[in-house]
Order: sequence, then C-alpha cells, then structure tokens
Amino acid sequence: MSDVASLRIMVVDDAALVRLYYRSVLEPAGYVVDDALNGLEALEKLTGQEVQLLIVDINMPVMDGLTFLRLLRRRAEPFAATPALVTSTEAGPQDRKAAEMAGANFYACKPVAAEDLLEIASLLAGGVGA
Amino acid sequence: MIEISDEEIRRLGDFLYRRTGMVYSLSKRYYIERRIDDRVKATASPSFESYFARLRADVGGEIEKFVNAFTVNETYFNREDHQLRCLTNDLLRERIAVGHGTRRLRLWSVPCATGEEPYSIAMWLLDKWPLVDTYDIEICGSDIDTDALGAARLGIYGKRALMRLPEQVVARYFRRQPGDRWQLIDELKESVRFSPVNLVEAGQTREHGRFDVIFCRNVLIYFDDTSRRIAADNLYESLLPGGFICLGHTESMSRISPLFEVRRFEDGIVYQRPEVGR
Repeated sequence: MSDVASLRIMVVDDAALVRLYYRSVLEPAGYVVDDALNGLEALEKLTGQEVQLLIVDINMPVMDGLTFLRLLRRRAEPFAATPALVTSTEAGPQDRKAAEMAGANFYACKPVAAEDLLEIASLLAGGVGA
Repeated sequence: MIEISDEEIRRLGDFLYRRTGMVYSLSKRYYIERRIDDRVKATASPSFESYFARLRADVGGEIEKFVNAFTVNETYFNREDHQLRCLTNDLLRERIAVGHGTRRLRLWSVPCATGEEPYSIAMWLLDKWPLVDTYDIEICGSDIDTDALGAARLGIYGKRALMRLPEQVVARYFRRQPGDRWQLIDELKESVRFSPVNLVEAGQTREHGRFDVIFCRNVLIYFDDTSRRIAADNLYESLLPGGFICLGHTESMSRISPLFEVRRFEDGIVYQRPEVGR
C-alpha cells in the first residue's frame, strides 16, 4: 500500500465551503488535497499531476460533474482510470444509476460525515485504514 | 495636535452624518480631534479650513479616507459565539425547513470590519454544522470602511484577534507569519466575498440581494434615530421573507423598527422578517 503522504485527492465542487470541508477532513489524515471549481477546471488540472481519488459534485456551473466524468473516462490512462466518488444531495436510485453510467466508482449522498469520507477515501485511494 | 473650534467640529460632524448616518457629537471631541488631526497631517493641509475644503471637494478620494478614519474596527474571532450557536442550532434549521427546495443559503456580515466575523461564521459552519457540504453557502462581508475591507481580504491578524479560537482551529485555518501574526489560509479567504456598503443608502444595500441571515452587530449604536430607522428599513429589505437578523447583545430592534418579529431562541434573541410581508 502506498504511503498516504503521496496520495493526492482532488475535490471538484463549486462551493468554497464544501471544498474547504473536504480539505479540513482529508488533510489532517495525511492526504494531499487539490481542488477545482467545476468539471472544466478539473479536466484542465488533470493533465500533469495524477491524483488517486476524485471527489465530484454533480451540480456545478460551466461543466457539471457527470459530464466531467464522461469526458475523463474517454481520456488516456492514467487519468481515465482515476477512482471517483460522486457526492450529491439527490438520493434516488436513478441519480445513483446516472452517476455510475457516467463513470462514478462510488456514490455518496450529502451530508457526508467526516468518518464516512475517510473510510471511502481509504477504500478508493488507499492510505488511512486501508 | 491641530486646534479645532466647537463650530468646526459641528460642521464636520454634520458632514459625516449626512454621508454615513453616524453621529459624533461634541461629547466625543477627543476622538474626533485625533482623527481629524491624522487626516490634516496625512493630506499636509495647512489649516482646518483648507482640509475641510479638500474634504468637501473629495480631492484624492478624501471622503472615503475620512469615513475610514472614523469607523471602529476593534473586534476578534468568535465574538458573541452564542449567536453562532444560535445560527447552527436554530436559524439554519428554520431556513432549510422553509427553503422552498433551494440548496442556497446566503449569510451577510455587515459591518464586517476587518473580516473576523464572516470568517468566524465560515469556520464555525465547517466545524459545527453537519450539513455544511449539503448547501451552497454564500458568506458576504460588507463595510463602509474600504481600508478595513482591504485588511479583511488580506486576512492577517494579531494574537489578540485569535484569543477566543481553540488551538486546533487556529492550526487548521491559519498559517503563522513573522512578528506573531497569523494569516488565514487561502481556501478560507475564498469562502467569503467582501464588498463596500453604506447601510443608510438603499441603492447600495439592494445591490447585495437578499439574505437568509444577517449579522449586524454594534453599528446601529453609532446612528441617530432617523438614520437608524433608515438602516433598519434597508436591512429589512435585505432579508428574504422569514430571514433573521442578529444584533449586538446590547441592541434592540424593537426600539428602532416595528417591522421585525422578536424570536427567542436558547442562545439569544433574534429578529425576523415575517414570512408574509407587512
């Protein structure tokens, strides 16, 4: 298992406080956290530095989370294979299905409690508790 | 210090009142004199008369600098934290319940001085509100003092401003700077939007849109009855129906305006714009 200090997570969410919330949970656990304000910015950032996990909101301006994932999955490796946790306020089975179809590996309904977030992160990215 | 007559102080006080609604009477002579003296020296004006002419003509944006000199910006993080508890325990719960399906919550700290209050709200929500990732929360900080807003955007504070913050909160959201100063991390600074506002100018308050909760602490005490009433009307218009306004603990909206309903919560008294307009 990789050393957690080398594990990078990118949070893609347009709400500043939400990005900061994920950061405030993940950084103390040792993850390196990067962020993007929408799908397009995430695509731009994901050209150089590889990340081990994406945390993606669905509703965002400029480019929503599902469009972002569909485009990312068509890219070359290693970016296309980056694990993705989609977070959403929608709890319906059709929303979950739509996220899976777009390329989500995991779907979590907001609010995502700190301990759940760390568990999912260690499951998908490796590191703490994995 | 420059010699200023009672008449000159009255003229300046009148000028300040007409611009801002703030009242400075002769009883605050020393406070006024010190600030005028600073501005006279800063502008290298040879006399009070020459400074006053410069002020009235707004040479070099002197009106803004003059107003900035008269505002009081002494505050600290988590001041009146009972209101922050009230925010997360009661106010937000009510706003969500009547939220008409929207995921957006708008909070306004006015006046925000050098940013301690709006940043306190952001940190408090991050640490204490389990639904922080579920809502799109917009926090705005506004003040008439543009120098204070500049300092707020910079986010550098002395130890005294941090005295009420738990150590782990300081460690999480601040980076130590030389000279016992602390700077907020960029991500937290990005979570608050700052803008200038004059509370007695309806055009300016209206530009900010309507809010779910307004924190307006310890500013109405600087106004006289007339401007206090105007500010209260403008604040009322800045609230969404059912929205809340928190004042300083020594202030009472009931004495100022009949527009608001008084709500008593466990952690304090808050004023509410009724759901159905009056």
